[in-house]
Amino acid sequence: MPDSIITVTNLTKTYEGGTEAVRGVSFSVKKGEFFGFLGPNGAGKTTTINMLVNLVKRTGGDILIDGLRLEDHAREIYQRVGFAMQEIGLDETATAREMLQLHGRLYHLSPERIKSQTDKLLKLVELERVADKYTNSYSGGMRRRFDLALSLIHEPKILFLDEPTQGLDPHARQLIWNHLRELNRAGMTIFLTTHFMEEAEALCERLAIMDKGQIVTEGTVHELLEKHQARNLEDVFLKTTGSNLGDEEVNANAMDPYARNRM
Amino acid sequence: MISSTFFSDWYYLSIRSIKQIWRPLLALIPSLFIPIFFFVVNAASLSSFSKVPGFPENVSYRDFIAPIALFTAVFFSAGNAGIELVQDISNGYFKKLMIMPINRLAIILGRLTEVAVQAVFQGALVLVLLLLVGVRIQTGFFGVLAIFAMLMIFAMAWSCVSMISALRTQNARLVQSLFVIVFPFLYLTTSQAPMNLLPPTFRVLATYNPVTYIIEGVRSLVLGSWGDAAIWQGFLVAIALFVIMVSLTLGSFKKTLK
Repeated sequence: MPDSIITVTNLTKTYEGGTEAVRGVSFSVKKGEFFGFLGPNGAGKTTTINMLVNLVKRTGGDILIDGLRLEDHAREIYQRVGFAMQEIGLDETATAREMLQLHGRLYHLSPERIKSQTDKLLKLVELERVADKYTNSYSGGMRRRFDLALSLIHEPKILFLDEPTQGLDPHARQLIWNHLRELNRAGMTIFLTTHFMEEAEALCERLAIMDKGQIVTEGTVHELLEKHQARNLEDVFLKTTGSNLGDEEVNANAMDPYARNRM
Repeated sequence: MISSTFFSDWYYLSIRSIKQIWRPLLALIPSLFIPIFFFVVNAASLSSFSKVPGFPENVSYRDFIAPIALFTAVFFSAGNAGIELVQDISNGYFKKLMIMPINRLAIILGRLTEVAVQAVFQGALVLVLLLLVGVRIQTGFFGVLAIFAMLMIFAMAWSCVSMISALRTQNARLVQSLFVIVFPFLYLTTSQAPMNLLPPTFRVLATYNPVTYIIEGVRSLVLGSWGDAAIWQGFLVAIALFVIMVSLTLGSFKKTLK
């Protein structure tokens, strides 16, 4: 598709031991679109998003990001994408300002741009006042907001977000939603995985729902409501995945954390 | 492939890692305490060992083990690189580095530069202590520089052991427990007695232990002269270990992708 910025074809992932996390997933995301990727826990959303940024090796299929094939142009793609992961990975021995500056340098931005981006992003996520404090002193909401700022330092064309509001109170969640809407309005393509229906409904133009490693339905919110004759997105979710919290399963292939040794 | 930005990536990642040495500063104390403690205790309790036939003439036991104090100051702290790396992995920061347009060798070298800086810093503190108690470096100022160079290269190579285990196991406890392997590598050498006074089995083990060559190299720079073969042998072993271990660490990066 000519206006697609992400094109995924028949993507599969089978982990050692035979667990099929992703089973032949295909979809595309248009430039400037706010795309939601929904599914119950363990559906394969995080594995898919990690394959899109090369953090997990895919078993099969093809990924094109901004017209570039991932295996041939990883570094160019890294320059164009930002990723706020489910796990907020911060350097606890650095301050927010130091981390933003370091990331700006590692993305090879000019000193002037690093300064302007650092100031702009700290203001955007309302952390100017604590910018020179170590990140280990931040609350969960502050850490999540800062992580978002960090993923934006190089002004990526595509922003990947994996459960960006998990564990946040309603105020902090609203704040992040507003930031995301602004970024999308400014032209940034956003790929969001979430299992909060109201988040997807509030933000996303188009959605795909994933279950057991496969996409079970796809479309705009309006299209999905019509297609599944549902009252709201949660209804669509339940009808397509049959999931509720009681259906969650443990990962039978998870390693014993005390014996985790792949040497 | 080395890109045009490789050196700047290496530089900035080194600065980040070096800052971690000083935060918190107190964490440096244990790795300084151990070499000083062993030096003081061994020099006092085993001083008569220098009178045993076969011990180098005109050398006190204190001077004989002085290079070990320098060596252990570096040896005991070299594992920190792996512990810091596993922290980055477990809190997710490592993944951020992996999706940046930076060379993975720069990530390794950034950590190794921290190890080298720490080696010089800790080695310098121990050296000052040794000079204060009367130990003299026979090869002079350039000998001091050569000691630090050899220790830095070795410390970087040794720290790769902990980095490889961090990358492959991603388990902080396991990486920390690797600390114990320092002891066989340190004691199955000529650290406590010259080669000719070691029992035959120990002599064989010490001959095959690469650490022996580093210790003998540093010892020759402290007690001997520039003509000693042990000096170039020490550098040769340190450089060979460095090349092998950095290559293995780079290979382990691939294993982090599941």
